[in-house]
Amino acid sequence: MLAYIINLVTLISINAVLAITLNFIMGYAGIFSMAHAVFFGVGAYTAAYFALNVSASFFLAVPVAMLAAAVLSLVLALPALRVRGEYFVAASLGLQVLGVTIFSEWKGFTGGLGGLIGIPPVEFFGYGLSSNTQYMVLALACLLLVVLVTTVLLRSSFGRNLKAIRDSESAAHAFGKNVATIKTLSVAISAALTAVAGALYAFYLGFINVESFMLDTSVLLMAMVIIGGTGTLLGPIVGAMLLMLLPSLFSYMWFLPATEIGSIQQIAYGAAMILLMIYRPGGLVGASKKQVAK
Amino acid sequence: MTGPDNQVLLRISNLQKNFGGLKVTNDVSLDMRAGIVTTLVGPNGAGKTTLFNLITGHLVPTGGDILWNGKSIVGQPHWKIARQGIARTFQDLRLFDQMTVLENVLSVMEPVSWLWQPGGRAGRRAREEKATHILERTRLIDKAHIRAIDLSYAERKFLSMARIMATDARMWLLDEPASGLDRGSYELFLELLRSEVRNGVTVCIIEHNLDIVVGISDRIAFLDQGRLLADGDPQTVLKDPHLAAIYFGEQAA
Repeated sequence: MLAYIINLVTLISINAVLAITLNFIMGYAGIFSMAHAVFFGVGAYTAAYFALNVSASFFLAVPVAMLAAAVLSLVLALPALRVRGEYFVAASLGLQVLGVTIFSEWKGFTGGLGGLIGIPPVEFFGYGLSSNTQYMVLALACLLLVVLVTTVLLRSSFGRNLKAIRDSESAAHAFGKNVATIKTLSVAISAALTAVAGALYAFYLGFINVESFMLDTSVLLMAMVIIGGTGTLLGPIVGAMLLMLLPSLFSYMWFLPATEIGSIQQIAYGAAMILLMIYRPGGLVGASKKQVAK
Repeated sequence: MTGPDNQVLLRISNLQKNFGGLKVTNDVSLDMRAGIVTTLVGPNGAGKTTLFNLITGHLVPTGGDILWNGKSIVGQPHWKIARQGIARTFQDLRLFDQMTVLENVLSVMEPVSWLWQPGGRAGRRAREEKATHILERTRLIDKAHIRAIDLSYAERKFLSMARIMATDARMWLLDEPASGLDRGSYELFLELLRSEVRNGVTVCIIEHNLDIVVGISDRIAFLDQGRLLADGDPQTVLKDPHLAAIYFGEQAA
């Protein structure tokens, strides 16, 4: 039971990092990316490849993964600067499909469909983490760090720049804000922090394959942000907890037929999203409908 | 204060803008001299806001030139033009709705795209003091921590003014800043505008309210169907029967 909880807390922390970083661009810069799982994947593959071939040191592998994701995020920034709204959603969807194809075909780097196996445990100054409890602590520490970094950024002038763009891009321009640079920077920061979750995930599981980085992951992350509350600090964490706990909750419902739990879960997700959008479009943590509509 | 001797800040020469076959700005030439309040008047669709959009770079002209301090700014991105000292307000305000009143004003003073602004802690304090002072002058100080979207109509208009006051721009383009204001708000608006003009801001304003036009303008430019029909001191332009017919004829219709 304890091992089960430790595993759950670790995975919730990793997913919370992903949701927070998605919320950073979605809720504050107004960039609705359907390709977040790609950056999760880039972080995971880069850290894994680096650990397998160079060093499993946390202080080397994680920065390398962050850098790789940040550089690749420019691929996302490019369409984000040219098209907006629903057009960008379509463009990022394209990037997601492209990413999955590359993950499954670039065998030399990603191991193809089989993925990368035997990823060594992450090392701190030569000491390798061995127990799941240690990974849980590491994941919680990373979550805390990411919360801190994003909170500080969002309360600074950079955060105001992002919110200004989200609220009125033309007014932001008219007050001398270089919208292109600000958006590019926000996407790069988001991707780099996403890669932290990717690296953690790769080290924790010890193996990765493309299945963790597909469109359904991106959709799930978006659901976490929307259900929790877009543009709020706590929302993504609440959303991540809820959507990660839901499956285990269903497995405790003895009266449900075990074979149907998967589809019942999907129905519950879907219904929850629809009801939320009707009665609480700001998310669980966000403002109630009345305030939003005003 | 007024007169042809003042330095030309902004020179618009033979400006042209076509949307397909429609000439929304047709061979307009105008000089904006330092310290002079110019009012653009004309019926709806005359091309007044289009002229603002062309000056600020929101639209790129089809022909002609715009000189700012003697240098052409045509083709530059609008944020670059803004940083050179041309600020504007929007008819539909375009406030940063989900941000607080204070954040709206602070953000205008933070154009640097990077993660922090120059000047460190002292710079931040100076910006906060300036923002507070502006909010006091626009009587929004009690609402400093309220989101812009939750303000009343008049308060939103004053927040739009507060934002432009926070810029260091030498030239202001105001798009119907006083429309729909009640008498008291409107007096406050005039008082704010006059004091900013005294401090050296050059203003070009789009306005329909003739009381305001006469009350603050040094000069009126009359636009109709993209053309500049008249340009001169308020009394002369407003008394021209031909222009009055266009203006009031359209308004009565």
